[in-house]
Amino acid sequence: MLIYENKKAKLLNILKIGINPFKKFVATGEIKEELGFVSSRKGLMESIINIIKSNENFILPIIGEVGAGKTHLFWNLKKKLLFHNTFYISLENYRKFYYHLYSEYIEELGVEFLRSIANKLCNEWGALERKFGFFHVADIYKVRKTAYKKISNEFEDKIALNDIINAITAHQLDPYKKLEAENWLLGELMDFRDLAHLNLLYDLRRKSYAFNMLKIIIENSKLGSVLFIDDFEKIISLMKPEEGSEEIFDPSYLYGSEGSSLDNIAAQKILEKILNLQKIRGIKIIITLNSIDSLEEIKRNIQEKEKNLLLTFKKPLFLSNLVENDIYKFYMKNMKNFLKTVNYLEFIKEMSKDYFPLNESILKNIYNEADGNPRDIIKFLIKIFNELIYSDEELEDILNSYEN
Amino acid sequence: MNENNIVLFDYIKNSRVKGEFSGSIISKFKEYVNYIIFSDNIKISEDNKVEISQGLMVGFERDVNKHLAFSKKDNFIWNNIEDCPLEYSVLISNEIMEQYDEGQFSDAFPYTITMLHTAGLYQKDHDGLPVNHLEFFQGEILRNPVSLISRGICVADRVVIDHRGDPVFYDSIIVGRDENDELKVSYEPLVNVKMDDDVLRFIIILGIEDLKE
Repeated sequence: MLIYENKKAKLLNILKIGINPFKKFVATGEIKEELGFVSSRKGLMESIINIIKSNENFILPIIGEVGAGKTHLFWNLKKKLLFHNTFYISLENYRKFYYHLYSEYIEELGVEFLRSIANKLCNEWGALERKFGFFHVADIYKVRKTAYKKISNEFEDKIALNDIINAITAHQLDPYKKLEAENWLLGELMDFRDLAHLNLLYDLRRKSYAFNMLKIIIENSKLGSVLFIDDFEKIISLMKPEEGSEEIFDPSYLYGSEGSSLDNIAAQKILEKILNLQKIRGIKIIITLNSIDSLEEIKRNIQEKEKNLLLTFKKPLFLSNLVENDIYKFYMKNMKNFLKTVNYLEFIKEMSKDYFPLNESILKNIYNEADGNPRDIIKFLIKIFNELIYSDEELEDILNSYEN
Repeated sequence: MNENNIVLFDYIKNSRVKGEFSGSIISKFKEYVNYIIFSDNIKISEDNKVEISQGLMVGFERDVNKHLAFSKKDNFIWNNIEDCPLEYSVLISNEIMEQYDEGQFSDAFPYTITMLHTAGLYQKDHDGLPVNHLEFFQGEILRNPVSLISRGICVADRVVIDHRGDPVFYDSIIVGRDENDELKVSYEPLVNVKMDDDVLRFIIILGIEDLKE
């Protein structure tokens, strides 16, 4: 029979195995973040959700310094927006922008979603028309003609639209082409033979094809679409060549006027493409930036191109640093998750009294040192816990060094 | 009769509803002919004239020394409903048609045989000229069967001939009479007909080319 158990010593022993309760200090668009928002940020979250729910198309800038938790915001939004398809895109991979965006969208929603959209569209285009009151004999050519007549005025590139209609109708109505058509719709790379079999000119790597497909699926989706573009500053950094960077040749030989470079042209194009997304009914774009100056610079750039597009920009929202109370809650929440993982949840009551193995004064010091920046706070916590795990020093000695 | 299905004309019950109707309409000829017309319209005028435009008539006809199944698109006009060969016309409810549609587009049965032209799969001995290809199609799935079972019409999305040689209809609309000779319509996901019961009159497989305009 166990008469007495030193629970604190047990926790330290668990930590000594080498598991740090604080691991990640950088959130990414690929790995799901489980931790929710701290209470001081709940108001901001509500404001964002209100804007999303009450507007059809917009660009909403979120400003927050490096490490403020902008990417983490994406995961929390995704969790909250149950009636929206929320997907993340980084401008690191900006080549073939629409294709990349389309792939992200399809990867997020899956093939079943694509099938149901294709089915819905074909039905709208008359595939379910009954011959003699009973029999569904879909006349694929008639369905294509109806489709083109119905939606062609909404699309600029008619050749791309024609191919998209061909692919969607083949997917639903031509059993001999269904497989290839599905691969095409999923955005897979197609060789000439497959394209010829489907009677199509290009696959979705073609800009206008990917854009039109995005327009079709987003506008026909029952759920709203929120596009989260992280680190929008990338556009500015691409526009401006790095100071002091060594030029091997004069770019004006190739790209015309001075100051234009390959990256600059790419950045201008990508900005145009993002703005062009506003032509898709129902797409809601959230961009994150580190400073208001960056936003103003982007706005100036847009103003030179088309002033009207600035109207789609919402007033920026600011992701401020944590308040002191947040660090205690954040610490407890994270520790609770950790204890759950190591199957030692019974310790949570014990811990809530004094934040063991740390203490209130250390957490306060961390908060002050990090100036409330979540990334810096997590970095400090990782460092302290690493010391607890790997150092031979006594716990009191380690804590003392952080208390002073 | 289901409230949503409308009997537009019934020779036996001497009932008719005058007017123009559109939707999914099944009209059956009297016993001596046993043809069926599928149409999306019918007009019964005040002066008892009956008009069906672009309907599809389905049945067996004699061709010298054999019976051949046929399906013909045509306009059908009878000047007096009393003298016309129709036994009844029924407008099928949207509710039943929706169920029928849902079953039709199921991907669960991808390996089905769709005939290009209308063909007779089975006809009970008639004039000493029976038709029976059930054994040939045993284990196969055939699209668009139309069948006369006893006094009821069965329109299905597909029929499978099982290992005993009995036809099993999937996704079917049944139109028939009850013990009081009232017309009834129902949707049945599955209809199993035993050949030993001797109720099957004919099965015709509609050809896809004949269904196209």
